[in-house]
Amino acid sequence: MRVPWIAATFFLARSALAVFADEAWNVDYHYALLGLPKQSTSFFHQPNPSSRASLIYTLSEEGVLGAVNPRDGSVVWRQLLLSEALAYNVSFLRAGEGQDTVISGIGSQVAAWSAADGRQAWILDTAGPLQDVEILELSDGRETAGAKDAIALSGGEHPAVVRIDGTSGAIKWQYQWDGVDQPYQVSASTTEVFAILLHKTLLGYVKLKVVSLDPVTGRKTDEHVVSSENELASAETIVSVGANSASPIVAWTNSAHSVLKVNILGTKEISSFNIEAHDSHAVERVEIHAPYHTNSLSHFLVHYETATSHWADVFHIDLKNSKIEKAYSLPKMTGKGAFSTGTSDANVFFTRVTRDQVMTVSSASHGVLGRWAVAGFGVAAGPGESVEPVHAVSEVSIKGTSVSAVRSAVLLSTGDWVLLRDGSPVWNRPEVLASTVSATFAIPAEVQEFVQQLEAEAHGNPISAYIHRVTRHLQDLQKLPAIMASLPQRIVQGFLGTSADGGIASDSFGFHQIIACATRDGRLVALDAGNPDKVLWNQQVADLQLGQTWQPSVSSPEGGIIEINSKASAGVRYNASTGEQLFSILPIDETAGEVALPVKYAIHKGELDATVDTKMAWHFTPMSGERIVSLVPRPVNDPVASIGKVLGDRRVLYKYLDPNLALLVTANDVTKAATFYVLNTISGAILYSNVHSGVDLGSPISSMLSENWFAYSFTAEASANSPKGHQLVAGELFESLVANDRGPLSASANYSSMQTGTEPFTLAQTYQIPEPISHMAVTRTRQGITSRQLLAVLADSSAIVGIPYGVIDPRRPVSRDPTKDEQMEGLVRYSPVLDFDPKWYLNHQREIVGIKDVVTSPALLESTSLVFAYGLDVFGTRLSPSFSFDVLGKDFNKFQMLATVAALAVATFVVAPLVARKQVNARWQFA
Amino acid sequence: MAGQLPPPPPPQWVLDLTSTTTPSKPKSGSIPDPPGFTSTTALTTKQSKSSSKAITPRKQPSPDEMDTLKLKKAWELALAPAKQLPMNAIGMYMSGNSLQIFSIMMVFMLFKGPITAVLNIQSTFQRLETETNRTQMLGVKAAFVGCNLLALALGLWKVNGMGLLPTTRSDWLAWETAREPLERAYYVPS
Repeated sequence: MRVPWIAATFFLARSALAVFADEAWNVDYHYALLGLPKQSTSFFHQPNPSSRASLIYTLSEEGVLGAVNPRDGSVVWRQLLLSEALAYNVSFLRAGEGQDTVISGIGSQVAAWSAADGRQAWILDTAGPLQDVEILELSDGRETAGAKDAIALSGGEHPAVVRIDGTSGAIKWQYQWDGVDQPYQVSASTTEVFAILLHKTLLGYVKLKVVSLDPVTGRKTDEHVVSSENELASAETIVSVGANSASPIVAWTNSAHSVLKVNILGTKEISSFNIEAHDSHAVERVEIHAPYHTNSLSHFLVHYETATSHWADVFHIDLKNSKIEKAYSLPKMTGKGAFSTGTSDANVFFTRVTRDQVMTVSSASHGVLGRWAVAGFGVAAGPGESVEPVHAVSEVSIKGTSVSAVRSAVLLSTGDWVLLRDGSPVWNRPEVLASTVSATFAIPAEVQEFVQQLEAEAHGNPISAYIHRVTRHLQDLQKLPAIMASLPQRIVQGFLGTSADGGIASDSFGFHQIIACATRDGRLVALDAGNPDKVLWNQQVADLQLGQTWQPSVSSPEGGIIEINSKASAGVRYNASTGEQLFSILPIDETAGEVALPVKYAIHKGELDATVDTKMAWHFTPMSGERIVSLVPRPVNDPVASIGKVLGDRRVLYKYLDPNLALLVTANDVTKAATFYVLNTISGAILYSNVHSGVDLGSPISSMLSENWFAYSFTAEASANSPKGHQLVAGELFESLVANDRGPLSASANYSSMQTGTEPFTLAQTYQIPEPISHMAVTRTRQGITSRQLLAVLADSSAIVGIPYGVIDPRRPVSRDPTKDEQMEGLVRYSPVLDFDPKWYLNHQREIVGIKDVVTSPALLESTSLVFAYGLDVFGTRLSPSFSFDVLGKDFNKFQMLATVAALAVATFVVAPLVARKQVNARWQFA
Repeated sequence: MAGQLPPPPPPQWVLDLTSTTTPSKPKSGSIPDPPGFTSTTALTTKQSKSSSKAITPRKQPSPDEMDTLKLKKAWELALAPAKQLPMNAIGMYMSGNSLQIFSIMMVFMLFKGPITAVLNIQSTFQRLETETNRTQMLGVKAAFVGCNLLALALGLWKVNGMGLLPTTRSDWLAWETAREPLERAYYVPS
């Protein structure tokens, strides 16, 4: 009997859902990312002042604070400071010299974190958004023995400078001022605290106003304006306000970047320097790199950049008479360069990283202390793209008077964060992937061709299919020499279990699909799902201005091709394997040319509009007070193997299979109700709807629709008879709830939703789950034979669980034990609480942080579905919801099998003469 | 030496060698029996032959009696499958409805037996059939076939119990196709 057989498999499957131990870290991959590091918030720092080992700290553009081990690039700890990443957010990260804490500032929160393990020491909310955070490096006797104090500058309605106690996070004093002056930055020397304010003039220009404060009491001691009336058009041309150096400075340029003006804070003189143009290109960027230590030499470097080249000048500050002198220049080099500051005692070293060399100079003289050639950064780039360093932080090791080694963490223009030891790359972190906004799987062209050939053989008539196969194998013979050459190696690897199963081209299982990720900064990054350690290619596809955003959606309309759609450009296509842009192909609307005109529906101004060929088809307006939360259509490519469910008594319950379904979620903010509708997207009819009242609309509401079932989850507020809890609802649509009944349409070959409005019979069941699900997806396999898993992203526990469909099946019998027939189907008694089995966790013990979306793709093997999750972290794995029934696992012992065969062969040869002798003896000898 | 002595009697081994008993067919096909080997079966048949000689011959029955006897024997043969039926039924019941190698083998034997029996019906009853009892034998044969059909029915019942007969809707589900919608709708993310 087939059903009990399936049921038995199902039961066995449920009891053994564990992954094989040897697959756990093998088929899955995880990049624990931080996001693109910022120059101002990245530095080397010793977490333990007594040891020389340092970590790289950064507060990234994604609002993630983390420490990276410079040895191997692994994340030591990280903290998500922003749940919603804002591009170009204002954030600060400081570490006092010899301190075991780092102090971060983001939004309006200042927090101190243990540098070694990332535990929070204290957190403080300031009145307004933070403008600056600095560490007060002074020895005025009032300081406590432990952590150094911090000063924070907050904006908003009541701008203020606050001194925060380094150990407790308590406010020591606060200086507030009234008026229109906007806070800009705060800076501290060993004796004074300076608040730099922007004073708007009547003509719309800004003036720099410096307020000196007493660090002990917080009282204003002096106030003066340093820049002249109409020098500064906006705050953007202020280059830098140094802090914590022996003599903090403020520097600005005019809007044409031709004059650099520097003022030593606390003085009134302004030194002015002309910026010499080295070529016809105008200077586009001026940056100042200065040491961050009070006991370092007061030297600084000014970095000039044009579109094609860069150079730098080093300036010395004479502390006695407060004069600034230009000491020497570093020559112009083509391409972009990054400068970083390193200190050793009082000495200051500048490290220059360009696209082909790393060079270290002392701040005192222009003699090159160390120069190393960079052969390459070891990162993938787009065709014809040159990889440029964007910014760098470095740590210099000094032996005697020479530089023995330089470690530089360089952010490259490809979005990779690379550590260069001298001139050679040690590790790279593809931080660009942390800002992935859309991703898709694409089958490589070679595999696509193979698939097409197999399909031709499957669907052709037997004779021609046979001829096709023979000719294909004859063609394959050409590859024989290459295969023979690699055969010994493959056999050895097969025995040792070290075989890295082939490349993209020779992928007969479909595991090596290409994952294309479009990132927020306009890059397209391709990974190989079967070999995820390496980025295949990485190129700029959109030229975005600073602050500009785009909403790309990547898809793979056919094998080997990746298509990007955004508002600006419709359907730009790229070769999936190489990343080359395909010019000659016009984007073709693949929905055209079908039998009838397709209905297209979209959310428009909070309503759902469907059109057929520009004519309105239907219109869905949420009830008054409701807003649309999400809309999940059934996937376009959603193969279903069986149109019915076989019951335990071998009758059939027919599924309501309509490709034109969508699950719409609306919420009413006033009544705290969420409504879930299943819509027929041809006629706009509501097939099923359910209202849940008392929903916590601040928590995520996730939903999913596939095949003939849907699932959604929400958080219910506490009510009189139930506590606050998270609920998961699963519903399944059937043609009829009577077995063997195909509904009113019966077995007709086709139907029109416009003319025959059949309604499904829906079964739904609610489960109480331990934590909210922030996003849902479902596994997909090639033919839909394999059972499904609902993939739920758990943001609270940084995990992804794969819930087998059988567990949330709405047909589980309620308040009675399952009958024998139901048992044969694998149905178990309904229990309202659904605990996530530890074996369902796809991430095992890793923490997958900030996942925004999960995409799935069928492999060529029916049993397997590829999963890729992105957001902040990038995680991917292969899933076999019904086990790998069509491929031998790694636990299959090839050696044992061959040894058994060999032993049997040997035994046959050894025993054969013995048997022959015995037979002869049997004839000749009488007992 | 005037008087010729008769030649000495041949030694035993010569006698053994020249003994006329034909060497029996060797047990193990390829290896010939050693010369002079007398198989044990040959010996026993000899003995039985000699012992049967001792029994006095029985009186031959008359042809009528022979016919009745043959008919009786034929009925016995014809009803034999029916007698096995209860035992088979119990065996089938005991082996359960699960698909295992044991129950599959039993079911196979259950089908093979009646079918081969019906196919070999002529040879089964040939030696019992005479000119005179031919008409009566028809009834016997019909009974034989009937009994075998009963055994087949038992097999069918068993196969049905195992769920191997495509009698339910689910067995034909793979041939049912999903209805094709005439229209398609596509979501345009805005």
